[in-house]
Amino acid sequence: MVNIEEQEELFKVIGKELNEKIECYAIGGSAMMFYQAKADTKDVDLVFLEKKGLEKVKKILEKIGYVDKKELVKIFRRYEDNKNRPIMMVGKNGERIDLFFKEIITFEMSDTIVSRVKEAHEFNNLIVKIVSAEDIILLKCATEREKDRYDALSLMENFDIRWDIIIEEAVNQTKLESYLFPVYLFDFLEELKEDFKADIPKEVLKKIRKISEDLLEKKLGKRKK
Amino acid sequence: MKKSDVRLFSIAKRLRGLQTVSTIAKTFNIKERTAVNYAWRLRKEGYLTTDYARNKIRWYRIDPLKRKKSGYDLYELLNKDSRVKISTREDYIIHADKEPSVEEVLARAIDTKEFRIVLASLGLFNKIKNWSRLREFADKYRIGRQIGALYDVARRTMKVKRMDERTRKALLKSKGGKFIIKNFKSKSFNDVEGKWRVFIPFNKQDLEVYEEWSI
Repeated sequence: MVNIEEQEELFKVIGKELNEKIECYAIGGSAMMFYQAKADTKDVDLVFLEKKGLEKVKKILEKIGYVDKKELVKIFRRYEDNKNRPIMMVGKNGERIDLFFKEIITFEMSDTIVSRVKEAHEFNNLIVKIVSAEDIILLKCATEREKDRYDALSLMENFDIRWDIIIEEAVNQTKLESYLFPVYLFDFLEELKEDFKADIPKEVLKKIRKISEDLLEKKLGKRKK
Repeated sequence: MKKSDVRLFSIAKRLRGLQTVSTIAKTFNIKERTAVNYAWRLRKEGYLTTDYARNKIRWYRIDPLKRKKSGYDLYELLNKDSRVKISTREDYIIHADKEPSVEEVLARAIDTKEFRIVLASLGLFNKIKNWSRLREFADKYRIGRQIGALYDVARRTMKVKRMDERTRKALLKSKGGKFIIKNFKSKSFNDVEGKWRVFIPFNKQDLEVYEEWSI
């Protein structure tokens, strides 16, 4: 497990080693630690919008003793289908850093996600931008670990979640990488509401359900033709 | 958690971000006097910190997570030393061993290339203690001539400490782009623009915010 101090130390080391400014986005547990909504995380997740930055950070991690774990770790749903798997760097104590390039499995780092960033942290040459709480929830729905449900729940309890943003981004994702994203989101939120008693407004679920049904109908209709 | 604590937490959650007395009053449809009481209780519980904007308007920064601070917020540092206060939609936290100096904050602020931030940075010229350090940061960010030109503009508008000749000459010789903010040119400071070979992004009217502190 990595806590916020260890994470910051790691970023400082990477930042010092970099010879030019590199930007990346912290997502998942790593972002939650910046918001102090979580004490520690199993894996630090960073998304890069430029391949060069990702390669540079990977090289530095290798230099300081991290190893590229090539075999598949099944965290994400629909994982097998996707060719854009993260680079998983594992440290000496088993801590893991996942490096993504533009996409987080079936979820694309859209311009709207980038525009919602409200916090940037500079560690020498490494600039880590923190995605919004709404976007962390959206990303959590792509995984199938129980602890991710608890993380999403904690975000809903601690933040005044703007559900309109979640719905908008889910629709936005259908135009990008994942056509059926609202369907997965509906599944995820309904599970949170039913099993974890999450405070999700009924109208939100209704709206996402309607969007999902329309998308499925469209998709099935096309196949029949 | 006590019932009153839960209520306060939900208020903090709803007000998360930057607020003023009037925005709090508007959010909950209450009187401004009551909004001040809300702010007082939120501050007491550690959910709220106060900043001052122009004309001594109070800004409240509210965070339901009572976050422990780490690093130095660039815009907080800028607001601390500049007469013109800014509110940004993004926090920029610098994780460094030492607090960035005024010289570094000034250079970084100009390097953002954002109109309001560059405008607020003019107020820092009067706080510069070490001109050679400013030159070092100017070299680092490759904005030597931009800094020199903005210094001349600041000197015409407000009371500013004198830059030593050595720094001035070095800044004049330094390299860098023509624009401080892309495609922004001035109608009021053509002589400064000509001297430093840099386009000033402000007109005289833009600098009226500094008038109260003018010479």
